[in-house]
Amino acid sequence: MSDLPHIFASRPSRGRFLERATFWVFRLATYLVLACGLFVFGDIVVKGSGTVFQREFPFVNTTFLTHSPESLYVFEYKGQKHEMGDTEFRAFREKEEADAKVAGQPAPKIKTESYVYSAGGIWPCIVGTVLLVVGSMTIALFLGVSSAIYLSEYARDGRFVRFIRLAILNLAGVPSIVFGLFGLAMFVLALKWNVSLIAGWFTLAFMVLPVVITASEEALKSVPKGFRDGSLALGATKWQTIRSNVLPYALPGILTSSILGIARVAGETAPIMFTAAYVVRDKLPWEVDKLGDFFFQGVMALPYHIYVVSSKIPQNEYTERVQYGTAFVFLLIVGLIAATSIVLRNKLRGSYKW
Amino acid sequence: MVTVTPSPSLTSTAAPMETPAAPTKFSVTVPPASAAKSGVATTLINIENFDFYYGAKQALFDINLKLDDKRVTAFIGPSGCGKSTLLRCLNRMNDLIDGTSIKRGSISIRDVDIYGRDVDAIELRKRVGMVFQKSNPFPKSIYENITYGLRIQGVKTKSRLDEVVEKSLRGAALWDEVKDRLHESGLGLSGGQQQRLCIARTIAVEPEVILMDEPCSALDPIATSKVEELIHELKKQFTIIIVTHSMQQAARCSDKTAFFYMGKLIEYDDTRNIFMNPANPQTEAYVSGRFG
Amino acid sequence: MKRFFDAELENFRSNLILMGETSIRQVRDAVKALVEGDIALADRVIAADDEIDNFEIKIDEEAMLYMNLRAPIATELRLVIVGMKASHDLERVGDECTTIAKRAVRLAGLPPLKPYIDIPRMADIAIEMLRDALDCFLNGDTDKALAVVRRDAEVDAINKQLYRELSSFMIENPATTTRALELMFISKSLERIADHACNIAEEMVFLAKAQDIRHREELKKGTTA
Repeated sequence: MSDLPHIFASRPSRGRFLERATFWVFRLATYLVLACGLFVFGDIVVKGSGTVFQREFPFVNTTFLTHSPESLYVFEYKGQKHEMGDTEFRAFREKEEADAKVAGQPAPKIKTESYVYSAGGIWPCIVGTVLLVVGSMTIALFLGVSSAIYLSEYARDGRFVRFIRLAILNLAGVPSIVFGLFGLAMFVLALKWNVSLIAGWFTLAFMVLPVVITASEEALKSVPKGFRDGSLALGATKWQTIRSNVLPYALPGILTSSILGIARVAGETAPIMFTAAYVVRDKLPWEVDKLGDFFFQGVMALPYHIYVVSSKIPQNEYTERVQYGTAFVFLLIVGLIAATSIVLRNKLRGSYKW
Repeated sequence: MVTVTPSPSLTSTAAPMETPAAPTKFSVTVPPASAAKSGVATTLINIENFDFYYGAKQALFDINLKLDDKRVTAFIGPSGCGKSTLLRCLNRMNDLIDGTSIKRGSISIRDVDIYGRDVDAIELRKRVGMVFQKSNPFPKSIYENITYGLRIQGVKTKSRLDEVVEKSLRGAALWDEVKDRLHESGLGLSGGQQQRLCIARTIAVEPEVILMDEPCSALDPIATSKVEELIHELKKQFTIIIVTHSMQQAARCSDKTAFFYMGKLIEYDDTRNIFMNPANPQTEAYVSGRFG
Repeated sequence: MKRFFDAELENFRSNLILMGETSIRQVRDAVKALVEGDIALADRVIAADDEIDNFEIKIDEEAMLYMNLRAPIATELRLVIVGMKASHDLERVGDECTTIAKRAVRLAGLPPLKPYIDIPRMADIAIEMLRDALDCFLNGDTDKALAVVRRDAEVDAINKQLYRELSSFMIENPATTTRALELMFISKSLERIADHACNIAEEMVFLAKAQDIRHREELKKGTTA
């Protein structure tokens, strides 16, 4: 018995060592990604929450969330250091000037340093972003689901359909700035919609369309054929079948894909900077003379605002607040919209399980 | 030839449904005397010189077959012999497959050519229902499953729908098992119950013919015998055509059996003759399990 | 669970029982016709044999159809097989009755050789054996069936005794030969009927217990295991 060689190789074998080493490389790579993500998010959350939240009641900086951006004025007056937004500063100066007039003194000279957009809030940007997301996703879902239904349910598989699919795949790879230029050429200039909400909607919708179409097609294909056959065998038309016995079951899948779309639509700056976004706009979107104007006005948007405040104004302790605060709010909003879609999807999925 | 009572033609839109005498009493409608077991069967479906192609490939060769009214006819034969294809031709489900074509021949139901220009396949399928191999209840409640066909036809009256649900479920011998959970998902039922739900869903639109494509191939023996029992009950009211791979099932359930091989109808006769004394040696080889 | 073709099986069973009852009636009538010299009754017995023949054909047909279409197994399979065999035995019983009736017609005009005592006794035993075998079919009482098998010896003994008796008649007075021979054949027929009753009883044991006791004397002794 003992003369025989051991049937198992002694450990640790070479193969085992190699396996461990490889495994550790993979593990470290994962940790690195995680660390990067945590750093970025942590940085934004830590610094941004200082702007958005506050110690006193109501614990949320309502000014930041509900006011328009203003310039920040920093100045020393009568030995005291002040930081004021535009409106506040003007009132302060007028009051001081009035006081001086009453006292018979010359108007006080207030020497200020000013920083644009660093006071006030980002309310118009929030509104603009929400409008852009809702509008463009509505258009993208309508167009995307319609064409997905056509491609997967009606169209006969042939050279033409294969060509369309190839085109859709290619479209998915086009950089967002190209979509922006397309939107500028097509909607802003050719259709003369100017820089407007509707031009932004369509540009963003076209950008996410490939994702929506591909995912919708997958979702439609994953609905078992038996449901279609069963419905058709009961004397339903193809459209009745799709409407009441295919689409409801594909909806959770379609929504899942549209969640990705939402994050992209909300986050892309390039497509909207030529088509829909204003650097600053005093009026809120609903302050229009007639309903038609609603669609043809430019809006402020969070990603573009972030771009503006982070690249067009100096970086210092006064501007930092609005930079990080905006990024933080932006993350929150994207997260909120995505969470809503996930809840909606899970609810639908719960009622249609097979 | 026994004359049959005229029925609404296949081309009529929204086939009117017979209303039961008393709304609270559900009984199986007594079949007309012509369909009595001992009586002479009348031909309901007439298939003549039927050639069918999938693209360039011929799937059915010169099929001539007369299917009896209010009887069970079994289609048997090895896989790929064309029996399912022929079955799906009877309610034009094959229309939905690309590249299919009929090069010759006709199928008529009550002397109406179902491939005629004035016949709408949608209307045809309301009259010729189908139950599939894999039970396919919709991921909806039992109630919604049964009422699906009627809702498609635009029936909305709650009392009417309630009535049909009970009648259909009783007809499919499922009422007692599910009456307390009509609003639960049809997918919560067992395999056999699901298949009976599909049968109930089919009879809810009151077709004349029910096509069954291997309805028991995914069921255990007990569920199978329940479905077979049901088939025996249903033939009082409906003409049933069943495709099956189980020789025993064909023997047990059917009145007549058609044996197909390589797209051709080899033999068609009373089931007892097919199994006791088949005329064709190929039939005998197949039914006795020594084929090929 | 009830199946839609259970009725067929019930029908099959009741046909077999009806056939058994008819056969018993035939035995009784044939012997009665002999004893009472009733030619009309004898003729009726001969005519009624068609009934039994039809039963056999019907039962065979039903059995074959059932085996063919319903794929019976276990008890059902035994029932169908036993039904076919028992119907064959009963048909043979019917044939023996016809023979007895024909001989009864021939004997009717002639003076009796001796009072009919042994032949009615044999007939009674044979009828009882048939009835017990049928009872076993109805209620599965295998003890009763085994008793039937054992009773066969009684009939055999009477048959042998009659054979000797009738042989001596013939030797003493050749004029009695015709009548004695007829009686001998009648006795033989009754003995055969008892044999068929035995077969049926054995078949019923097979039906109830799936145990073949034919030609296995040890199994016929006491109650079966």
